[in-house]
Amino acid sequence: MKTFEYARPSTVAEAVALLEQHGPDAELLAGGTDLVIEMRNAWKVPKVVIDLKRIDELRPAIRENGQWISISSTTVMTDIAEDARIQKYFPALVESAVVVGSVQIRARATLAGNICNGSPAADTAPPLLIYRAVVAIAGPAGRHKIPIDDFIVGPGKVALGRGELVTGIELPIPRQPIGAAYTRLTRRRGTDLASITLCCSVEEGGVARIAYGSVGPRAVLVEDSSGVLADPGAPDERKSEILDEVFADASPSLRSMRASPDYRRAMLRVLGARALQTAIDRFGDAS
Amino acid sequence: MKADGIGAAAHRLGGIGRVTGHQQYLADIRLADMLHVKLVKLDCARARIVSVDKSAAEQVPGVRLIMTADDLPQPVPRFGPQFQDRPILADGETKYHGEPVAAVAADTKEAAEEAARLVVVEHEVLEGGVFSVADALDPGAPLVQDPSIRADDQWARTNILREHRFGWGDVDAQEADLVIENLYEFPMVTHFAIEPHGFMAAPDGEGIAVWSTIQHPYLLQKTIGKLLKLPLSKVRVFAPDPGGGFGGKQNPKLEPLVAYIALHTGRPARLVLTLEETFQAVRRASAEVTVRTGLNSDGTLVFEDFECNFLIGAYVDIADRVVTKGSYLAAGPYRVPAVRIVARGILSHTTPSTAFRGFGIPQVTWARESNLDEGARALGIDRLEIRLHNLAEKGEEFVPGDTPADGHWVQSVQRAAELIGWDQPLAPGRGRGIALGLKSGPTTGLSYSTVRLLADGSVLVFSGTSDMGQGARTVFAQIASQELGVPLDRISVVMGDSSVVPYDQQTSASRSSVLMGTAVFNACLDIRNKLTALIAARFEVPESDISIEGGVVRIPDVEMTITEALQAGLGPLGGELVGNGEMRKDKDPSHPLGGSAAFFEFNTTAIELEVDPGTGEITILRHITVGDVGTALNPLQVAGQDEGAAIMGLGHTLMEHYIFDEDGRIRNLGAIDYRIPTSMDLPLQMRSDSIENADGPGPYGVKGISEGALLAVSPAVGSAVTEATGLIIRDLPLTPQRVWEAMTERA
Amino acid sequence: MSESLIIEATINGFRRSFEVAVHHTLLDVLRDQLGLTGTKECCVVGECGACSVIVDGRPMNSCLMLAVEVDGAEVTTVEGLALGDGHLSPLQGAFLDAGAAQCGFCIPGQLIAAQALLDRIPHPTIDEIHEAMAGNLCRCAGYEQIAKAVQAAAEAANS
Repeated sequence: MKTFEYARPSTVAEAVALLEQHGPDAELLAGGTDLVIEMRNAWKVPKVVIDLKRIDELRPAIRENGQWISISSTTVMTDIAEDARIQKYFPALVESAVVVGSVQIRARATLAGNICNGSPAADTAPPLLIYRAVVAIAGPAGRHKIPIDDFIVGPGKVALGRGELVTGIELPIPRQPIGAAYTRLTRRRGTDLASITLCCSVEEGGVARIAYGSVGPRAVLVEDSSGVLADPGAPDERKSEILDEVFADASPSLRSMRASPDYRRAMLRVLGARALQTAIDRFGDAS
Repeated sequence: MKADGIGAAAHRLGGIGRVTGHQQYLADIRLADMLHVKLVKLDCARARIVSVDKSAAEQVPGVRLIMTADDLPQPVPRFGPQFQDRPILADGETKYHGEPVAAVAADTKEAAEEAARLVVVEHEVLEGGVFSVADALDPGAPLVQDPSIRADDQWARTNILREHRFGWGDVDAQEADLVIENLYEFPMVTHFAIEPHGFMAAPDGEGIAVWSTIQHPYLLQKTIGKLLKLPLSKVRVFAPDPGGGFGGKQNPKLEPLVAYIALHTGRPARLVLTLEETFQAVRRASAEVTVRTGLNSDGTLVFEDFECNFLIGAYVDIADRVVTKGSYLAAGPYRVPAVRIVARGILSHTTPSTAFRGFGIPQVTWARESNLDEGARALGIDRLEIRLHNLAEKGEEFVPGDTPADGHWVQSVQRAAELIGWDQPLAPGRGRGIALGLKSGPTTGLSYSTVRLLADGSVLVFSGTSDMGQGARTVFAQIASQELGVPLDRISVVMGDSSVVPYDQQTSASRSSVLMGTAVFNACLDIRNKLTALIAARFEVPESDISIEGGVVRIPDVEMTITEALQAGLGPLGGELVGNGEMRKDKDPSHPLGGSAAFFEFNTTAIELEVDPGTGEITILRHITVGDVGTALNPLQVAGQDEGAAIMGLGHTLMEHYIFDEDGRIRNLGAIDYRIPTSMDLPLQMRSDSIENADGPGPYGVKGISEGALLAVSPAVGSAVTEATGLIIRDLPLTPQRVWEAMTERA
Repeated sequence: MSESLIIEATINGFRRSFEVAVHHTLLDVLRDQLGLTGTKECCVVGECGACSVIVDGRPMNSCLMLAVEVDGAEVTTVEGLALGDGHLSPLQGAFLDAGAAQCGFCIPGQLIAAQALLDRIPHPTIDEIHEAMAGNLCRCAGYEQIAKAVQAAAEAANS
């Protein structure tokens, strides 16, 4: 690994200043589970590495204010999975957090990092889309928030400008009952990168939402307000037609060695139907 | 002697170091003033090397040497266990993805890595790389190997290394009620020992010292001696316990390169491969096996006709031996009146294939057992019944003129059937499979051991075996404990130093308990004889009046411990008794394999599973493995080896394979995209059992056991998948995608 | 900002202060600088778990951390698992009893993952054990013996 300058700011403002100063020569270090590999392989050769873990404001913390749960950008998967409030309000996010890598990885990898990396296969992206997460950003021009759907752009790309960093991810606490489920497709049961990531929800008014990733440049969110998908009694053929539309935009990589495009497309349907059923069951339990 | 001796579930010797972190593996050893070596490789398989520009790399502070083929003696020296075909560094052309072109030696690892990136290799990627059996046999294909390497060989101008023919009876003259013919494919898989391969060398007086994660230190000693023109006495090989071998660490690979670097620089040099480089260094031969099985309507095997094409790599390593040993027993443990086997090793521009647990047998077993099941289904005969019907009985010459069946194999089959509940009703959606595996043990062998009974009655055993996890140390200590009546905590086993420990041919083919075990046993016998002579002289009694049993020495009217007898016999100066033992199994040039099997490894594997009808994912509900072990010297270690082999077999059955791009690059190098079983991929229930009839050739009737449970996993799983789904898949691994594709194709 | 830094960390119970290059991983520093070679290097991508250490109570892959990141932290390596009097810990003893260590190369990481599990869940179920150890590859595939050892250590702590 090439050497670099290591910075350990203690405030967000300091971090923003460093980022603004060094631009593309700087890399942010939170969990480092991707960055260290990228630096070792010289895929990234930053001049400055900015470690966010000593910023008091970002200290691993999950906060609740009655309407929102906010998860700071240095919060790791283990913290998310173990948090009773997240378990209660956002179980599908927990389901996605507990399958990111191994115990060792989850003790290190952050939720914000999972999203900021821009990996199409990020496990937490579909549930964050489903739960209408908002990304809190700090930058030279101050602070703002944008919906996760606008934040995720494409492979390796997120909506961050020069000098900007994510300070946290915020989730609105659902006011109505919601049933949600996360599932994924892997090559083995043990730790693996997913060939499909998929999250479904069923909400009041017969709205079903499906978010899925790893089958195109970014995770996408599709809403079905016809009531068919959310209806436990709807005939399979009708659901099938709608699921065809839901997954119509999937464009799995032709070059992937993890799964063929045909298999991924077919598994979207299988996993989609299964996750939907789980979501329906959970909605029934919740309401 | 159950507590410490034979049959005891004794703690592993070396176990304490393994749980405290103090066990020194190769990469844990630091030599003063050591240079770090990094390989320079090309990101392509087959290329002509035009020139190597070292200038930028030489500017990196701390770089001491950048070695290319031009810096070596000319012609570039070549070596190999069977053919002298592997060059020290790529010689004018790279022949597989990752073949080293140059090596950088520097004061620090970082400097070596940085400089290696800066070495510019001008090269021309050559079209027409040979990456498959079909590529290799295409009349227009380039020759992978320079014909001059085997100039007088009839196959030299083809990509076929050799073609072997075995068999008996007249297959063409046989009349069968049913003939089933199919092609079965077995993927390229890699050993993935958790310890990556590593090598060190240092000038040592007039000679050289070499450290390696090697299974065959004495072969390495010979190889280095020959290349460097040094007498064996000036080549000292240190072989620290390998962190897993599985065959991949049998033969020398990069030790000669590191030795040249050490001699060139006059400094110790060390090269520890990355996991990715290890993947590029060793793999199992993939295979395409066509089998025609002739059966009578009552299930009697009439003939078996095999064509086995093993895709070996760019250099032979031990692959020709894999081809012959893998195919010679292709017909398995059955009585078959006529068998024809044609087996070829086919060269390709891929990673050199080498020994890998099972040594060619798993590839052929996948074909034979699966095809037998197809026959049974076609005839409406139970898959267990058809096996029992044709299985050779103990003492039966199932290969005419060769070693007869050396075990009551039927017991293993019946035990496995009983444990899986073969006759029990099967839940809907589930399937069961049962398959038999048979492998020749070693066909030749030469092991020496020295045992020293020290003045305080403690014992040192010297053995040239490599303890790579199979637990050889523990077993040898148990043998010494049994024979000398000394508790295990007073026995040490010395291994891994060719200047101290006497010669052993190799650690392979599950041989060590039988061959080295016998040498240790004989060395203990030698000590007992010497002790008897000593006591006879000291107490002035005839030797025939002395008995040594269970650590107690008896002469008329006197009973004493071995230690008391030893001390009395040695007198005031003390000293020790040194015993030597030998075990030799000579070559038999008349035998197709150069020697009959010292023993057979026989295993029955039975599987119950279910298949997810939506995703194709297989869940192994129960996995039974029953080996015919002769005697379990240490049941704990037998279970460890057996279950480990079984799970490794699940790896190549369910998930493992190299993935290549069109240009012969391995795309899934490293741990992220080459999947092996984790703790969450285990069968829901695993049961390992042993048949013990003390009918092996080793001490106490032991046979080798470390490979058996891997041999028949694939066909047992495949057969169960067929029962669960009705699908027949003849290509491994049975990934969810592949199973789903088969389901889709049917629909 | 600097290319090397003096950090202070508690390594296996001892507070120590030492200088590290900022681009060196914790694995590099443990093995090459502190001589704690029990922590093993294999895949260096966080998949095999051979390099696992416990940092502030949680198991982590030392190959994916910069050494500077443990400034102020408590680190336990395999060398720190034995009891203070040099005796093996119950977990280490259970590994020997169960025959869980074969070639042994993955075992330091397995022990670290198991110890971290038992610290968090003193009486884990078999599924919790397999789940907690899924980041530690064993190619000898001694998974059954390893799980039995962890269970035995948990039971021993009970009695």
